[in-house]
Amino acid sequence: MYVQTSYLPQVKEIRDLLTDLLDRDIQVSPTPPLAPTPNNPCTVAVYVDDTLQVTSVIAFDLPLSAYAGAAIGLVPAAGAETAIEERVLNQTLQENVYEVLNIAASLFNHDGATHVRLYDAHHVGAPLPGDVMARALTLGRREDLAVEVGGYGAGRLSVVLVA
Amino acid sequence: MKILVADDSRVMRQIVIRTLRQAGYAGHDVVEAENGKEALDLVRSEAPDLVLSDWNMPEMTGIDLLDALRSSGSTVPFGFVTSEGSADMRARASAGGALFLIAKPFTPEAFDEVLAPVLKG
Repeated sequence: MYVQTSYLPQVKEIRDLLTDLLDRDIQVSPTPPLAPTPNNPCTVAVYVDDTLQVTSVIAFDLPLSAYAGAAIGLVPAAGAETAIEERVLNQTLQENVYEVLNIAASLFNHDGATHVRLYDAHHVGAPLPGDVMARALTLGRREDLAVEVGGYGAGRLSVVLVA
Repeated sequence: MKILVADDSRVMRQIVIRTLRQAGYAGHDVVEAENGKEALDLVRSEAPDLVLSDWNMPEMTGIDLLDALRSSGSTVPFGFVTSEGSADMRARASAGGALFLIAKPFTPEAFDEVLAPVLKG
């Protein structure tokens, strides 16, 4: 039986998506894998295929969660800095970063690849389920990037394929 | 003209409205809906000249909204603004009677390209 596989987006595709979505200059560079821990809280988005099998996760660290959530909604940088200081995103920033991660599903949806959609996002500060944590830490098919959001600041993201 | 923007994300509705303005379509009345069901009711009560709808929404999806509109005899011009941009989705949109599908993220130029024939024609 022919089995479709998930598509791992290229670095340029990730940069282009963030540039268009946030309408900001975006610089990316390779970085070590991002590991969500209590000391390094992350927003972790879980993507599923049409049979609800988890295919991939995307993690944004706290600074990138705040900067991306602020930039997409034209929230001033000070609003993002407050979220980083308090180590929690307010409801607006949570909704905004959720939408960034929702649209990021399009990174995986190449013709011929498994169709995926956002299933859920675990926000910074919320307890991360063990299986989601394990998937975020999976090594192998993944991209790990430092991201500079022009006018806001720098953070990190990881895109991880698990199926 | 009156434009109905249906999307369950508040920030995405803001971005769609902002992009309309950037694409040169300022001054139109904009009505917002949070899901397909609310959009269906608003098409009936507000009689918009154009519907811009997300695909994946709670209560009623965009494609179900389009089906419901066409089944009820509504011929309101309808386009998708969605993160679903695959060939399959585009074919389903077109078969359902949508005029266009704009994939997120989008640019003002992409908006103008598909909206010019509808709003200036």
